[in-house]
Amino acid sequence: MSSTASNIVTSPARQNRVTLRKTVVSCLALTIALLLSIVLMSLIGSEQLPARASLCALASFGTSSCGLTRDQFDILFQIRLPRILLAAAVGGSLATAGAAYQALLRNPLAEPYLLGISNGAAVGTMIALIFFGASEWTRPFLAFTGALLATLAVYRLARGRAGATPERLVLAGVIVTTFLSSVIVFVTTLMDATRIRSFTFWLLGDLSGTSRTLLPVAITITIVGALALTLNARSLNLLMLGERDAFDLGVEVGRVRVVVFVVASLLVGSSVAASGSVGYVGLVVPHLARLSLGSDNRISIPAAALGGALFVIVADTVARTIIAPRELPVGAITALIGAPLFIYLLKRA
Amino acid sequence: MSLPAHVDRVISLAPNLTEIVFAVGGGNRLVGRTSYCDYPPEAKAVAEIGDTLHPSLERIIALRPQVVLISTASQLEIFTQQLQNQNIAVFVTDPHDLTGVFRSIGQVGEILGQQQQATLVVQKLRDRTNAVEQAVKQKPLVRVFYQLSAEPLYTAGHDAFVTDLIRRAGAISVTAAVPGAWPKYSNESALAAKPEAIILPTGGSMGAGNSNVTEALRQSPAALAGRVYKINDDHLVRPGPRAVDGLEEMAKALHPDAFDK
Repeated sequence: MSSTASNIVTSPARQNRVTLRKTVVSCLALTIALLLSIVLMSLIGSEQLPARASLCALASFGTSSCGLTRDQFDILFQIRLPRILLAAAVGGSLATAGAAYQALLRNPLAEPYLLGISNGAAVGTMIALIFFGASEWTRPFLAFTGALLATLAVYRLARGRAGATPERLVLAGVIVTTFLSSVIVFVTTLMDATRIRSFTFWLLGDLSGTSRTLLPVAITITIVGALALTLNARSLNLLMLGERDAFDLGVEVGRVRVVVFVVASLLVGSSVAASGSVGYVGLVVPHLARLSLGSDNRISIPAAALGGALFVIVADTVARTIIAPRELPVGAITALIGAPLFIYLLKRA
Repeated sequence: MSLPAHVDRVISLAPNLTEIVFAVGGGNRLVGRTSYCDYPPEAKAVAEIGDTLHPSLERIIALRPQVVLISTASQLEIFTQQLQNQNIAVFVTDPHDLTGVFRSIGQVGEILGQQQQATLVVQKLRDRTNAVEQAVKQKPLVRVFYQLSAEPLYTAGHDAFVTDLIRRAGAISVTAAVPGAWPKYSNESALAAKPEAIILPTGGSMGAGNSNVTEALRQSPAALAGRVYKINDDHLVRPGPRAVDGLEEMAKALHPDAFDK
């Protein structure tokens, strides 16, 4: 990691151009794969739709029904496609946030779910549901507030006199996670029985309740957030050398930290408000991105954003079809894929 | 485990069983109930032993019951074992249809030595059930979607006892063949099923949370025709005597013309 980083520090303009080309090529490839997966996964679901007509309707962006019946058209455009787009936004958000936390905190285990940041967002969403149930807008807002507070708590707890060591960070994450889990248990007692059932499913990460109001919000935040963090990727590269070294090299450490905390909390908040806590995405996807494309954040952050979208789209397709017409929560699938993959990655590393 | 000849201390671990105990005239012998057991109103005077999923074993033992009534086999086997170690008999019932409910009423009556009253109660319930079934017999079957909750979408599957109630009310649940009792259901399959009516169990002890049709079904034939019926959830999810109230309410909502005399 340090050799790559020092290459970047001393990199001449040519090296920058190489990096740029590598970024563009890998992002282009991932974007194509993402678009393909959106189209292909739109053809799969608990209801069988005619493939040719569906492709034709998708290609027309929904302006032509291409012979689909009214119900088939609604299934494709009102239910399946919005859910796939939400999966992309959630996956992109969580993977980007994970990649940024890992770079800023110099810790490969920093992940929104494992640090308790998802739980912070979940508490915020619960409060919004209980006290402002009618207004959907309060959900991402309070989820963001919860995520930010949890981030600050973990960061303050992890920072000892000797700085934030990886071990302290993970321990702080465990403390914040378990504390917030008990807050969640307490808050559920304020809910009525119907809500509790919905909520426990939601906590595991579930994309079935795709909201028309929140979908555009989630997509916008994902794109803006991923761009904002990519623009700070050079500073994050330098920060991987250590905060003091980065400061000496001209990085405004405090500003970068604030940007990452706020943007990552926004990403986690909007995805948790829309879909609950989908775990392991922020861990597995950035690791895969770094393993295949190197640890330069200018490549790995945008690659994680696109790869995360791809990963959750595929995981959710499994969740909604494997026992159709019944469904599983997508969080169960990401953990099922994520945990073994993570163990494999750790052993290889 | 054999039952004592005369049972005068009994604990119920489910609201439907509490209702049955009172219906057969054994309410004065109920010494413990769950926090969900809110009917009949007299039940609230009985000591609470926790909720259905987390009963307090200590409190149960302290109340010295001779029999503990449990509604499904879902409760931990270890728990049952611990009760039996204390010489407390356990009666488990898990009705999947109305016939099963009537059988449970008979069995609880027998345990409490109230056979006569139990038989009477069952006879009355049977008569009301037959009356409903007669009234809707000639009516075309209505295709019903049972929305247990909207987000995420839960419905009643093959093993749910309400699926049998829907059938008796002159309708057919579009999810009657789905495995399990309360499956989480695919939005697109719900839309594709094109239900003609939607039942929303709501307004009872589960609260009023489930009072809007899920987004995927807003354009369904049922919603467009205004055939969305809210029915007290306590009458539909508790396999007890009031299930027949639920049956009557559903049948009248689905086939109003069969009853207006």
